[in-house]
Amino acid sequence: MTAAQIIFLITAAVILGSAFMVVTTKNLVHAALWLIVTLFGAAVLFATLNAGFIAVVQVVIYIGAIAILFIFAVMLTRRSMTDTGPGLNRGWWLSAAIALLTFGGLVWLVSGWGGFTKAAPAYPSGFDAVAALAHALVSPEAFVLPFEVASVLLLAALVGAVYIAFQRKGEE
Amino acid sequence: MPQPQDYQTLLPVIVLAVWACALLLLDSFLIQRKGLTACLAAAGLAITLGLTLSQIGRSSSGFSGMVVLDGFSTFINALQLVSGLLGVALAYAYVKRMGIERGEYYTLLLFSVVGMMLMAQATDLIVVFIALEMLSIPLYVLAAFNRTQAASEEAGLKYFLLGAFSTGFLVYGITLVYGATASTNLSAIFAAASSTSNLLLTIGAALILVGFGFKVAVVPFHMWTPDVYQGAPTAVTGFMSSGAKIAGFAALLRVFATAFPAIAADMTDILWALAAVTMILGNLVAISQTDIKRMLAYSSIAHAGYILMAFVPYGNPAVAPVSIAAGLFYLAAYVITNFGAWGVVIALEQPDGKGLQISDYSGLFWRKRGLAVAMTVFMLSLIGFPPTIGMVGKFYLFRAIIDGGFTGLAIIGVIASLVSAFYYLRVVVNMFMREGEQKIEREFWLDLTWGAAAFLTVAISLAPGWLFYLASAAGLR
Repeated sequence: MTAAQIIFLITAAVILGSAFMVVTTKNLVHAALWLIVTLFGAAVLFATLNAGFIAVVQVVIYIGAIAILFIFAVMLTRRSMTDTGPGLNRGWWLSAAIALLTFGGLVWLVSGWGGFTKAAPAYPSGFDAVAALAHALVSPEAFVLPFEVASVLLLAALVGAVYIAFQRKGEE
Repeated sequence: MPQPQDYQTLLPVIVLAVWACALLLLDSFLIQRKGLTACLAAAGLAITLGLTLSQIGRSSSGFSGMVVLDGFSTFINALQLVSGLLGVALAYAYVKRMGIERGEYYTLLLFSVVGMMLMAQATDLIVVFIALEMLSIPLYVLAAFNRTQAASEEAGLKYFLLGAFSTGFLVYGITLVYGATASTNLSAIFAAASSTSNLLLTIGAALILVGFGFKVAVVPFHMWTPDVYQGAPTAVTGFMSSGAKIAGFAALLRVFATAFPAIAADMTDILWALAAVTMILGNLVAISQTDIKRMLAYSSIAHAGYILMAFVPYGNPAVAPVSIAAGLFYLAAYVITNFGAWGVVIALEQPDGKGLQISDYSGLFWRKRGLAVAMTVFMLSLIGFPPTIGMVGKFYLFRAIIDGGFTGLAIIGVIASLVSAFYYLRVVVNMFMREGEQKIEREFWLDLTWGAAAFLTVAISLAPGWLFYLASAAGLR
């Protein structure tokens, strides 16, 4: 076994274990904290895949912003440390069966894919992944159009969110 | 640098997006004059419509194959802009009456139209996805626009959650298609798919179909429709039931006809079954409705089934152009009739939420003849009864389907239409043969909307050739 394989196995075990804890722990704040461990594991995976920039983005955005937002939302809307309830509802076995079936189907499908046996293409020397990504986002030969439309989309979503959430005078 | 051709291809979309942003800014200065915001929004739509019409006959592609301008996109975009204009006309007095007159209404409506137009022009799955979000997110907010009413809030939340869920299917489908073909560009997918046909691609295409099926409300992905159509402000429902449907069908058609002809054999069976189930279930459940908004919601589900029929032979090059033209004609017919019907519903709706039962239409003919006659025309058109545009649309549609060799599906469609006569005619019977009283709202733009829609519904049916010619000329590039 190579060092990369050992790192992968440890990371995968941490991701799976913490993801299991996210859905089984009874305390919502604990679930959010376990989620951070899961997301951090994913960042490690990205780093081992030579996707350093994505790994940093994963830490900064998913852990730094989204997970923290979860914790804020839970703490502001519920009695966070005392509010515990059963983690499973009546239909849990059905969801588990569907999830297992889908997982099995996907494994079966993907196992027929030839890509696993191929060696990953090496980067050309002097290749800068971050520069390539930046170029792809703003080049008219690449993804500038979806990128710009996404900014308009975010504006529309922002206007909508403010409209829905804004408390006006004379409203309950 | 982007080339002039890139901008030309997308010119109407860009103009409307810039106009919407400018309107957002301008609206904050028009504090007590929201009517002016509506007029400016309508002006933006009208200018964009002019630009779109000036592009008739042009054909180009831009942004390295991400978007395309062709007869099909021009036809769909013109239809979208007309439905946007009608949406503003329906809303103008309605939002005042309901006490929800806010400038954001028109800005969000414009943003939604931008998404709808981009969707018809997208030739890359990433652009399709982002255009779908661009049209959906403003609609989620518009559905919840009357946010002090619990029903409207519920409609918005329900639409949002199920819409997000369906987007998940779409993105998953795009991922699998990318995995199978290593591209998100529709023509590149076509090239890769015709050399190797595999299961991954079929499953990806099916998941994409599920995602679009939610948007156009095809059974079994229709569960959100009645609640959202009923709870949303009626002017929003009228706009949403036309605009989102046109956009969904336009993208469905372009994606399947451009990228997936290789798996047409599998897809045709699936589309056949979806169309049949949608027509049957939509019409059957509509019978038991007593609320006019819910009834029209199930009617819109049933019509999604009719339109889906046109797509069944998409992989057969001998039949597909005629059947797609018939589908486009039917879409145009549905938009005109549908806006008219929702206009009548708005004319009878009261601020306290009364006037929405089918029994509230009793005796309408004896109180306001024009409105009752217009509603009769719309109901007949939705059944497919002469002399209305709905009849002409169904005629073209059934003929194209039978030519394609799907006689069984056409028979199901005809039977479903016969069943639908029951609940549409019940409204007509109520208006003419029962006694009743109702308060009717008079307002210039509203009256113009249902009046013009009724006129067009009859007039186009007498001379349908030009519209069918336009629909036939609206080919994919």
